[in-house]
Amino acid sequence: MSVNPFVTMSNIEKSFNGVPVLKSVTLKVQKGEIHALLGENGAGKSTLMNILGGVHQPDNGFIMMNGKEVKMNNPRVSQDQGISFIHQELNVVSDLRVYENMFLGAELKNKIGFLKVEEMCRQTSNVLSQLGVSINPKEYVRNLDTSYKQLIEIAKALLHKSSLIIMDEPTSSLAEHEVKRLFKLMKNLKKSGVSIIYISHKLKEIKEVCDRYTVLRDGEVVGTGSMKDENLETITRLMVGKSISEDRFMHDHSLGPVLLEVSNLTSEGLFNNINFTLRKGEILGFTGLAGDGRTELFESLFGYRKKYTGKVKINNQLVKIDHPSKAIKAGIGLVPKDRKENGIIKDLSVVHNMSLASMRNFEKTGLIQEKAEHQKFQYYKEKLNIKVHNPRITIDKLSGGNQQKVIIAKWLEVNPDIIIFDNPTQGIDVGAKQEIYHHINELVEQGKAIIILSSEAPEVLKVCHNIYVMYQGEITARLKGEEATEDEIMSYATGSKREAEKIG
Amino acid sequence: MANLQLKEYNQQTSNTKTRLSWLWSEYSVIIAFLIIFIAASIMSPRFLDINNQLNILMQVSIIGIVALGMTVVMLSGGIDLSVGSVLVLVGVITVLALNASGSILVAILTALFVGSAAGFLNGLMVAKGRIASFIATLGMMAGARSIALYIAEGGSVSGEVSGFTAIANSDLWLIDYPIIIFLIMTVLVYVLMHKTRFGRYVYALGSNEKAALLSAIRVDRVKLGVYSLVGLLVSVAAIIETSRLNSISSSSSGVQYELDAIAAVIIGGTRMTGGRGKIIGTFFGVLILGILNNMMNLMNVSPHLQGFVKGSIIIVAVLFQKRE
Repeated sequence: MSVNPFVTMSNIEKSFNGVPVLKSVTLKVQKGEIHALLGENGAGKSTLMNILGGVHQPDNGFIMMNGKEVKMNNPRVSQDQGISFIHQELNVVSDLRVYENMFLGAELKNKIGFLKVEEMCRQTSNVLSQLGVSINPKEYVRNLDTSYKQLIEIAKALLHKSSLIIMDEPTSSLAEHEVKRLFKLMKNLKKSGVSIIYISHKLKEIKEVCDRYTVLRDGEVVGTGSMKDENLETITRLMVGKSISEDRFMHDHSLGPVLLEVSNLTSEGLFNNINFTLRKGEILGFTGLAGDGRTELFESLFGYRKKYTGKVKINNQLVKIDHPSKAIKAGIGLVPKDRKENGIIKDLSVVHNMSLASMRNFEKTGLIQEKAEHQKFQYYKEKLNIKVHNPRITIDKLSGGNQQKVIIAKWLEVNPDIIIFDNPTQGIDVGAKQEIYHHINELVEQGKAIIILSSEAPEVLKVCHNIYVMYQGEITARLKGEEATEDEIMSYATGSKREAEKIG
Repeated sequence: MANLQLKEYNQQTSNTKTRLSWLWSEYSVIIAFLIIFIAASIMSPRFLDINNQLNILMQVSIIGIVALGMTVVMLSGGIDLSVGSVLVLVGVITVLALNASGSILVAILTALFVGSAAGFLNGLMVAKGRIASFIATLGMMAGARSIALYIAEGGSVSGEVSGFTAIANSDLWLIDYPIIIFLIMTVLVYVLMHKTRFGRYVYALGSNEKAALLSAIRVDRVKLGVYSLVGLLVSVAAIIETSRLNSISSSSSGVQYELDAIAAVIIGGTRMTGGRGKIIGTFFGVLILGILNNMMNLMNVSPHLQGFVKGSIIIVAVLFQKRE
């Protein structure tokens, strides 16, 4: 290990509103290494990185780059030092073209100030092909998948020849083969001397790609060292302060009668001839790569999308669902993916988010009983372990895990027989993930039926009775939760294998 | 030790600071109102006179009722530019109904029906036709005014039934009926927006329409309700406006009401894009506009300059209460 690290953040302290978030944190990153920054939500990772990115100023402590002290007064200074920050929330402008996004704020101009469009397109194509994707640089970003949007952000960092790239959960919206490509690229970057700070909750990925790690817990560094010398369990224990089992959830209750029967569900261009059944007490998993149509399938089943054909039977009765309110009447709830866009209503308070789908439960002669709402929230707060001091604050002030719990509480209050969870643990730390799995398990023990959509094979393997794998809008396999393996799921999800017999 | 004390001190000041900024962000419009009110009472001794105070309230009552509706539609993430034109159309038809039937009740019912029907049509265009509210209500703005002009042949229509003028020209213990109607409407809309399911849905939909729909809210119906409600409130304002002079001018009544109403809503702290704002804010926003008008009259500011002063105050007010 060299004596002079590339970047040193020394004894950084930071408080917000008198609450200390970082307590004398020191982080050292060497040149050409991938450094994992770990910790649960709210451990202070984002604050630390925002200080490095010039978004926040530390109360105490200093930052050294290449042995010289640097004051990151604003994001611009940080960028000029060669630091790129790839945020978890995508910062791409949907209404601009790919190349326009790539060069946003640093457009190439000729002598009289006109844009050099062809040159920018050429460079964009070059960088994107390094990443192994071919997108037309003139394509509008709004027409691209989320995973491509992520790649554009990464490509932007490459384009600006950054010497330090901070990646905050870059793989949360990527499919597995895209993740592999990203890792290969990160390793190449490393060889060319670029340092990467990698923030992720997915420990397996970290083990695969990172050289060293630093773990934060409650604003303090609780461990740092070389990745090779540690196993995942030790690191998990450092993060949460206790060890967490990676075992399958055992289901010892028996399944009830068929609750939901879906046959020949088809929507042009999205999904095709979908058949499955769901029994009382069952957890059904749907997995596949990005763009496999599972989200659209269940958005249709929930009535958010109307253009589909086929039969849906609930309790053996044919139902026609063309609006989410009809789905609720039929007994279906949906915890959507992309919490920020689809789940939370950020201007409403925590309590009001909880009660939004079940306002009738809190009405008396047409007026809302705020007191009843608050009491109900207290109940869920304790039941789901939601961490919030004042439930009257707007929901966007909570951490991702707590927001998700509020959304789950919202659907528990609606009390449907079937709850669909779309990517329920997206951007949520290990501890909160476990809690959510636990609640899902409790629900099925009470006789509910659950459908989990997830791009993470380990997740469905861990909690589901049965797993359906989708590929390009079709179900390619139905597997038993206990018997399936990650590799098996992958081969069906990528379309390289396909079950011969008709399913359902 | 000294360091520790300093830290504690810092923490305390930062706590008071956050508390102050909370107070400011929640009640900035009321604070601004108080400042302007005090400034006005210092600048002109006549300002505090009870008759002058009632005069201000009387003058803002029509715009105030329209602004209440505008608040609701802006909270839902839309806008209604047609309020002034619809007000005139309702006024003209009301007078016709009044003269034809000779019944004040029939006139009032006609007004309420025409207003909410125009609003409902706006709602249909926005919710079912998926036309941006700005465009849909711009069309209604032109259309409603034109029909009013056609019916009244470009001029004014006057009521021929005695008693109709009593609506806007009577008082209860000194307080004119329009003021009372404005206050009642404020309370009703406040209750609707903060104590009922409908109000909660409007906020939700203005903040995040997709999430609202995924929460099983009947978004289309809520929008229809919102625009119909604006139409209904506009027709209440139209009844007052018509009754006040017992006539309405198809060409000059209701002109720029939409701008005054939007100004009051914005001064009141409601966000242009919806989801955030308060009825009580609009109430004080309306009062601020009223005081400004009144002051300029009392101080003999040229009527040609009044628009400039008003415009500047709107921009300053919004600059000061900038949040987030």
